[in-house]
Formats: sequence, structure tokens, C-alpha cells
Amino acid sequence: MFPCFPGSLAGPARIVGPGLKPIVRAGPFLQEWNTKDMKFELTEEQNLIRDMVREFAEKEVAPSAAIRDEEERFDRALMFDRLGELGLTGIVFPEEYGGAGADYLSYAIAVEELSRVCASTGVTLSAHLSLCANPIFLFGSEEQKQQFLAPLARGEKMGAFGLTEPSAGSDAGGTKTTAVKDGDNWVLNGTKIFITNAGDAETYVVFARTDKEAQKHHGISAFIVEKGTPGFSFGKKEKKMGIRSSPTMELVFENCRIPGSQLLGELGQGFKIAMKTLDGGRIGIASQALGIAQGALEAAVNYAKERKQFDTPIAKFQGVQFQLADMATQIEASRLLVYNAAYKASAGLSYSQASAMAKLMASETAMRVTTQAVQILGGYGYTREFPVERMMRDAKITEIYEGTSEVQRLVIGSALTR
Amino acid sequence: MKILVCIKQVPDMESKFRIAADGRWYDQGDLVFRMNEYDEYAVEQAVRLKEQVGGADLTVLSIGSERVKETMKKALAMGCDRGVHVADDTVAGKDPMTIAGIIAEYAKAQNFSCIFTGMQSQDRGSGQVGVLLAEMLGLPAVTTIVDFTYDGSLFSVKRELEGGTRAKVAVQSPAVFTCQLGLNTPRYPTLPNIMKAKKKELGSIPVDQLQKTAILQETERLYFPEKKSGGLILEGDAADLADRLIGILKEKTAVLA
Repeated sequence: MFPCFPGSLAGPARIVGPGLKPIVRAGPFLQEWNTKDMKFELTEEQNLIRDMVREFAEKEVAPSAAIRDEEERFDRALMFDRLGELGLTGIVFPEEYGGAGADYLSYAIAVEELSRVCASTGVTLSAHLSLCANPIFLFGSEEQKQQFLAPLARGEKMGAFGLTEPSAGSDAGGTKTTAVKDGDNWVLNGTKIFITNAGDAETYVVFARTDKEAQKHHGISAFIVEKGTPGFSFGKKEKKMGIRSSPTMELVFENCRIPGSQLLGELGQGFKIAMKTLDGGRIGIASQALGIAQGALEAAVNYAKERKQFDTPIAKFQGVQFQLADMATQIEASRLLVYNAAYKASAGLSYSQASAMAKLMASETAMRVTTQAVQILGGYGYTREFPVERMMRDAKITEIYEGTSEVQRLVIGSALTR
Repeated sequence: MKILVCIKQVPDMESKFRIAADGRWYDQGDLVFRMNEYDEYAVEQAVRLKEQVGGADLTVLSIGSERVKETMKKALAMGCDRGVHVADDTVAGKDPMTIAGIIAEYAKAQNFSCIFTGMQSQDRGSGQVGVLLAEMLGLPAVTTIVDFTYDGSLFSVKRELEGGTRAKVAVQSPAVFTCQLGLNTPRYPTLPNIMKAKKKELGSIPVDQLQKTAILQETERLYFPEKKSGGLILEGDAADLADRLIGILKEKTAVLA
């Protein structure tokens, strides 16, 4: 339904430069141009989901967004439990695992709408669903799905994802946390940092090195660890620039013993699980960035219509209109990329590149648009009386987590030059 | 128990309205449509009654173009069992009597025990359809309800009256109720219920089959009232200003008795 851009062609597009051999364009351009599939309308269900989430976000989430940011306070009842009641915590999973059986586009729309008013609430859902529930759905055994996925999908338990370490960020192969087999158990030791939802979440997907001898990407495995397991504690809570209502903490494992049944996927498959999980996570973060940008644009438009200078609403000035036009155009381009990646994920097509492009574009757009929104609101925009400075602080993280913009360019670039 | 709830799709009231080219209604292009707010309370009350009474069956009805089905889907996702869409592309030009007649024609053979609708629509606001429908079906109508209970045999409702008073009314089934804002808290259609609504029956009936009478009244012209002149600006010292302001408030408003 969202095959990308129209070309005048039925096969792969070819670009021929002077003196160059033809190169085949990669990515969405490769898709065959098929008029009957070129539908940009959302389905009735997707529209209903957007209306529902928007109404919920505006009525219940927005009113406390500024004060939660100010107090750096996570409100579990509002930011997670309510999402569970509305069926948002398991959007994409089948009903037999407690999900709603909807598609990734519906999920993207939900994160977008939440982030439009509160990026912290948006990332709470994204980290829970994309980073914790999704790898269990994709790589878990039937028993693991029943035991761990179903309560996550139903919103009874909240999820988190532990990959990043002091020495392993963009370089996930640098993982130093270890898991050593002891009888039927695994014993974990190490520290994870910058973990979204940590402390409040009950279920964690954690990566640890199980083979010190193996090449660095091959010796990593994934585990499911539950809060309350002896030897599993939380370190310091980060004081962040943005998404301050979303908790970010360290995970500390000190001889943390978990049953062998909590190995997720196969031994040594951890790097692959992490990369596949992050492909999906990028759709969530791209949607979050999209929502932040949309919220900032709306705030800027509303302000520009009200604010008078030289006896004229500033929205009447071309200088302001041009800025708003650029903001809206970039947001719409981001939206098409995000929805295209979500469509591909739902359709079972390869979406690694599409989600990297979507995240790169949407996060950089969010940063640019929120900065412009602050500029349009001027002195007021710089105060915490208006939401745009919060949006600008929130936008920055979308260029960093779940793969920095540089890593997204690496993903896209390496696929182009393979 | 068979329950009917009648809903209308209206533009979002935040919209910027323009008068249509024929000057008789608003231009429907570029508008975002949603469920009439009063009808959301009607749907919620109907779903609550259905949930209370085991084995009840709840039908949602709406008249309009293909577009109104989107709004009906929301009602289905909130808990209605089936939808009856009366297909009519010219519904905007029809008066309350004609609308009520169409619904009555459908409802007369269905033996509904309870019919809910909003007390008025946000766009036309005649407040007549529910009452006319009750009259045509020979049923009692209880209007402007702000509280509703059912004890298994009798409906007990509270009505909102002018001046801050309320009236408690008991009525037997079958009856028609028109719902006021604040009657309840309409639920969000949850995501699983949105997905389930896809499978619910939503049939269309051409309006010609149900409309038996000609239109009795027509809206001749729709217009924006002329803007009143700007506010009154008082100037002078504070004591004098206060006296003059009190004088104006006493004379022209009910703020000061």
C-alpha cells in the first residue's frame, strides 16, 4: 500500500552518469511501479486508531506533559497502564499472545500521535513494544511467548531492552557483559547503560557475551531477565536533556542467575537478534520523531496566526510562511518514509534500509523543525511556558538512540555499495 | 432486549466553515468529520445497557453518504453489534421530520425496547429528530437525559431542566431517550475492539426504500451573522471607570443584580 515513489518504469531504475557504468538504484526505488497498489489513504481501522489515540493523547497525556518533564517524573498509570487498557501495548501481535492483531502502520500512527503531545510517552511504548516484546515474538519459543510476551502485550508487564554498555554503543559487538553456563542456569555479570523504561519495567531483553573466544559479533546471546531476580539491580538514573519523563537507568548484573529456559533464540545469535530488533525499533523512533515534529509545526502555526507584530499576525509575513512551508514539507516527506517502512514490515518485505532511511529523515527533520518552531515563537519559544523548547530538547535524542544518524547512514550506504 | 442508537456524522466544530455554493448549507469539502458529540453519549449509554442486560442486541443507525460509515465503525468499535447505514447523499437538505420518518420506517417493524439518540446535532441543532421519532412510533420520549439506570423492568432517568433543576422520570419499555452531554463518560474504542469491528455487519439500505414523504421544510439560506461592532472602550481615572463599569453591568447585563 505504500510502495514508494512513482517512476516511469516497470523495472529497477537506472541512473547513468557521464563516463560511468549504469548503477542500479537501491532501496524503495527498486519496487515495481504498480498503479493499483499506490494507495496513500489509511484504512478505516487505521483512521479510527489515529482518532482514538489522538483523543486520548490530547485529553489525558498532554495536560501533564510539561510538569512531568519539569519534575522528570514517569507516570506509569498514565504512560503505560492506560496504553494497555486501550490495547496499544500489543498492537502488532496476534490475539493468541494478547495482542490486537493490527499492523505496523497502526503502531507507527500510535507512537506518532502520542509523541505529538509527549515524546516521553511515545518512547515508553516504542521501547516496550519494539525492543522487548518484538524480539520475544520473533525469536522466542512458544513457552517464552506464553510466559513473557502475552503479559507484555496485554500491558500487565512493561518491557525494556538492554544492549548498550559503556564500551558498546554503536559497536554492539563490543559487549562486555558475560553470561556463563552453570549447570542448567546462566550467570550474568556486567552493566548496561542508558536503558529506557529501566527500573519500572518488569521484563528485560538483555545481551551478554557467551563465548569469549568467538569473533566479537558471534559470541553474543540474548536473554530474558525479570525484575526482582537476585543479582539484578538498577544503577543511577540519568539526568537527561530531553524525554525527561521517560526513565533511563543502568542495569547492574552481579552473579545474576537465570534459568536456561530464558535464553532467547539460539546460543550465539544475539547480535543478529539485536540488529533485527533495532530494524523494527527504528520504525518506532522514526514515528516518535515524526510526532514531535508534527506537534512543533502545529504549535508554530497556531502561534504565528495569533502573534501580531507591526499590527499584522506574523503568519501573514512571507518569511514566516516560507519557514512553515519547509517544515510541513519535510514532515510530510518523513511521514511517507516512516509509513513506507511500516508497510514493508507488515507486508513481510525486507525493511532494514527503509527503516534506516525513515529514522534518519524523521529524526533530522524533528531536530530542524523544532529548532525553527522555537525561532518562530521567539522569546516565548525559549521559555518553558510554551511546549516547543521541550520538543526541541526531546527531538535531539531521536538522532542518537537506536542507531545514531551516522549509523543509519552506514546501514544505507553499505547496502548501496555492497 | 433490542436496542437502537441513532447517530449523525458532523464536521469537527473546530473547522473553518464556508457557505456552500448554493447558499443553503455549509461546504462539505475540506472538512474533517466525526461523530456528533451528543450521540457519543447515546452510544455509550446504549452499550452500557447492552452490557447490563444479558443477550441484548444493539444496532447503530446513521443516514448519509458512504462517508458516514467511518463514524459508524467507531460506534461498532465502542460496542454496537451491527450497523444499519441508510444510504442518502442528499441528507443535508432534509428536515427533521423527514429524517425522523426515515428512521421510524426502519424501526417500526423491529420492536426495539429502547432507542437512544443525542438531544441535538452539532451542525443543524434542531433537537427534534428524537422526539418526532418517538411520536411516529407511538412511544414516550424522555429528552435531555443526564442520568440513566435500568432495574430490569423500569428505566429511571434524570432530565436536565433550566435553572439548575433536575427531574427524575420513570418510564416503561419501549421508550426513546435523547441524551445530553455529561450523561456518562464515552469510552475510547480500544484497539482490539477496532479490529473486531471490522467483522461486524454493516449493511446499507437505499433511502428511497424508507423515505415515504416529501420534504416539508427547506433551509433557504445559510449565512454568517454580521459582526457586531467592536467593544466599548472606557477612558478616565480609575474611580470614575469603576462607577461607569458598574452602571453598564447593572443596566445591560445580569452580572450585577
